[in-house]
Amino acid sequence: MILPLVILYTVTLVYLSITERFRNFASIMGLQGWLLFAVAVLRLHAVDPAELTFVAIETLLFKGILVPALLFAVIRRTKINRVRTSGSSQAGSLLLSLLALVVSASVTYYIADATVDLVFFGVALYALLSGLILIVMRRRIFSHMVGFLTIENGVFLFSTAIGVEMPLLINFAILLDILISVLMLGIFFTKIDGKIHADDADALTNVKD
Amino acid sequence: MLYYLLLATAVASAVFAARSRRQIFIAGVLFYLVQALFAAHVLCGGACDPLSAQWFAFDASAILFYVLLCIVSCYAFVHSEAYLADCDLGQVRTYSALLMLLTTAIAGAYFADNLAVTWIFLEATTLCSAGIVYHRRTAATLEAAWKYVFVCSTGIAMAYLGILLLAAATKCESLAYADVAAAAPAGSPLYLKTAFLLILCGYSCKVELFPLYTVGVDANFAAPSPASALISTGLVNAGFLAVLRVYKTLAQTDVFPWVRAVLLLVGVLSLVIGALFLRRTNNYKRFLSYSTVENMGIAAIGLGIGGAGVWAAVFHVVCHTLVKSSLFFQMAVVRQVYNGYRINRLGDYIRINRIGAIGLLAGMVTLLAFPPSPLFVSELMILREVIAVHKWWLVAVMTLLLCIVIYSFCSRMIRLCYQPNQDELHPSKADRALSWSALSLLIAALVLGMWQPDFLCRIIDQIAAL
Repeated sequence: MILPLVILYTVTLVYLSITERFRNFASIMGLQGWLLFAVAVLRLHAVDPAELTFVAIETLLFKGILVPALLFAVIRRTKINRVRTSGSSQAGSLLLSLLALVVSASVTYYIADATVDLVFFGVALYALLSGLILIVMRRRIFSHMVGFLTIENGVFLFSTAIGVEMPLLINFAILLDILISVLMLGIFFTKIDGKIHADDADALTNVKD
Repeated sequence: MLYYLLLATAVASAVFAARSRRQIFIAGVLFYLVQALFAAHVLCGGACDPLSAQWFAFDASAILFYVLLCIVSCYAFVHSEAYLADCDLGQVRTYSALLMLLTTAIAGAYFADNLAVTWIFLEATTLCSAGIVYHRRTAATLEAAWKYVFVCSTGIAMAYLGILLLAAATKCESLAYADVAAAAPAGSPLYLKTAFLLILCGYSCKVELFPLYTVGVDANFAAPSPASALISTGLVNAGFLAVLRVYKTLAQTDVFPWVRAVLLLVGVLSLVIGALFLRRTNNYKRFLSYSTVENMGIAAIGLGIGGAGVWAAVFHVVCHTLVKSSLFFQMAVVRQVYNGYRINRLGDYIRINRIGAIGLLAGMVTLLAFPPSPLFVSELMILREVIAVHKWWLVAVMTLLLCIVIYSFCSRMIRLCYQPNQDELHPSKADRALSWSALSLLIAALVLGMWQPDFLCRIIDQIAAL
């Protein structure tokens, strides 16, 4: 049951590279949140029930509801709907994303080690690369934030792979969630656009040499 | 340790409720009293309470860097009083509380004896630093704060992935450094290498090393100068200590030569960036920040070379803390005089504030590692070690880059002190007491250059032992 969910999660990462509408970005983040919630519940059924409940509620609340809601709120507030200035074409982004997928699969195949769940490792690596590609290739600040959330979701997915033995690690991943949700989205939602225009990362070039 | 953290956090949080500057000052005195008591406790060999012993340890590195942190933070608090004279109460309250919380978070990172606990406290420093960076509430400070939060969060997430990989590779139930170090030799080399790479990349935003050094520079530029002194030394040391602990954790594994090679590469790249940007920047605070990148690059080269290089790297970081904080405090006085940091506009400082100018020039000579600078000792040791392993290319690169650094520093600092003002600046009066106070840190560093006390050598021996 977990494998189809992880494959679906991988598909969302591929889709993220070709979509240009910010509403789609927010929807994908929401979908990833729900997928991670399902993976966490299925994967961590062996851990302490109280711990599992906490992890499940936190994942659903932050990743499945709060983060997408904040993203939609930002879209409404800033009235930015799509990627206007992209560093590359959709085809180019897709190619890069697929290249990242091949690299992740190759690295996973190469290290083939029994100590780690390789599917989780490979997908987490792909999420990391996808997030970095999104940050580097897209110009708008909103895309950068989605790129970061993608990385963070990948890290959380990987933590569920190890968390069966060490549930404490998942709590640390949750701490990262809270930091991001509160601080990054908070700054973005309340401050940016008032002093800095949120429509282009070029607005973030005043502090430099 | 938990009591210390709770007490320090409580005092710092109480500042948010202060209704006058006097109350903030009293809370500050109370906060540093707590620090002094805790420092006395750890210096007298006090043990960690059983509850926190599983997460924290009072080892030599933590104690040494904590004492330095207390000194720099206390200076930063006192200098901030004068620096923030024109700010309203709300701003001073938030700034002072965040400065204390940042000090507490850094102390937590120093004493953490567990990979995950170190990570948590480094994450906490991001929260506190971001607030300090945004202190002025301008578009530039918001931009710097946003970049800081964004890049540090990305770095912290990468470091966390590295910690997960390390945990997976070692199959270690606990993430205590000693346990991971004991299990690491049996771990998969590729996992260990990937884990180290991710952790180093992630923490580079705190250590101000290549590749994520940029956010540290931006943060130092946007934050008030006394806070920059803390960020550029105390926080950088927290990152350095985190990297040093992972470095020591992997010391007994087969991948250790590779780890050292990576550190060498990162160190050289940081040195290149630091040296080149010292020529390019037109702002004194960014100038000092690039100097931090350069010095941390030298420390990374020391770790990469190994042997006596590790000792030299630790000694270099300790002395850099005193010298760099002194220069940032002097820079706070410069801002008080000129209300700005633009290199091409300021000058004639020697006539306006003689003691401040002497402090800057002496700081420059010390930072450039001319005898009797303590950095001369550490850089000479590192160079000797580089020559001993016949890495002649590295000797050539380091010599060339250090020459560029010397030229940049001399031209910029001499310009500030002796060049006539470029336009109709109306310098204000300088607070000489602050210049004297900043100079005292430099004098302490110079004393270390001429005489390294036995107890300090013993402590650094313990830290450098692999």
